[in-house]
Amino acid sequence: MREDRSSPGLGEGDASGGSDVRLTLPARPENVAVVRHVLGAFAEALQLPDPVIEDMRLAVTEACTNVVRHAYADGEPGPVEILIRPEGDTLLVVVSDQGRGLGPGTSSTGPGLGLPLIAALSHSFEIEQVPDNGARLRMSFRRGPHLELA
Amino acid sequence: MTTDPPAPGEAMTTVSIVAGPLVGPVLRRVVGMLAARADLPLDRLDDAVLVADLIAARAPAHVAGSRVDVALEPGARSLSLRVGPLREGGGQALIVDAAVPGVGNVIEQLADELTVSPEEAGEFLLVRLAYAATAA
Repeated sequence: MREDRSSPGLGEGDASGGSDVRLTLPARPENVAVVRHVLGAFAEALQLPDPVIEDMRLAVTEACTNVVRHAYADGEPGPVEILIRPEGDTLLVVVSDQGRGLGPGTSSTGPGLGLPLIAALSHSFEIEQVPDNGARLRMSFRRGPHLELA
Repeated sequence: MTTDPPAPGEAMTTVSIVAGPLVGPVLRRVVGMLAARADLPLDRLDDAVLVADLIAARAPAHVAGSRVDVALEPGARSLSLRVGPLREGGGQALIVDAAVPGVGNVIEQLADELTVSPEEAGEFLLVRLAYAATAA
C-alpha cells in the first residue's frame, strides 16, 4: 500500500478530546457521495433533526463539489479533506483542499450558486484562503431545528 | 459505478475518528461504499462491512492514541484497509479480539490477506478483501 501523502489541512488542531470525524478522499466526483454517506451516519448517531441533516448534506455537497471542480488543475490529483465536529449546540464542518482554493475558477460554467447556497443553509460560514496551499471552508449548523421568525 | 484504482500521487482515502460511538457507523459506510465501487460482489461487500464493524468494535482498545485511523485503498475487485497506528502488540490483539465464540476468528476467515506491520509510528493491521481469491 502506498504511503499516505495527504496531510491534514483542516487547521482545527488535534481534537482528541472531542468526537470528530476526519475524512480525506481523492477529489473525485464519486467521492462526494461518500462524504454525504458519512454525514448521514454522523447525523444519525447524533440524532439530528431531518431538516438539519438535509441542510448540512446540501451545503457540504456544494463545498465538496467546488473542490472537485475548481481546486485542482485538470488531471492533477489532490485531496478533499472534511472535518465534522460537534461544538456545543452547533455542528462544525470544515472542507479544505490543497489546490487553488474553493472559489469559482475561470473554468466555471455554472451559475455560481454554490457559495450563496452554503451561506443560506448554514448558521455561519467563512472561507480561509491558505497561500499556496488551498482553502478552508468552515460551516456551522445549529443542531436543533432552525426556527424562522415571522 | 466503479472506481479506478488511485492514480500515482493521488491522495489515499483515510478516515480518522475519535474512539467512540461514531467509529462503527462512519467506518461501515465508507467501507461499504468503497467496496461497492471496487466492484466486489454482494457477498464480499457484506464481508467487507462485517470486517469494518469488527474493526470499529475492537480497534479502540488497541489504538496508539485516542483515534481510530483507517486508510482504504480500492483496487481491481479488491479493497485494502490499513488500521493504525496501534499500540505495540495491538495488531495481533485486534485479530484475536475478532474471534466470535462458535464461529472462530471472523477477520482471519474473511480476509484474503491479513498482516501486522510494525512501523515507526506504531503497528498497522493490513486487511485485504478481494473477489478473485474467493472465486478461485
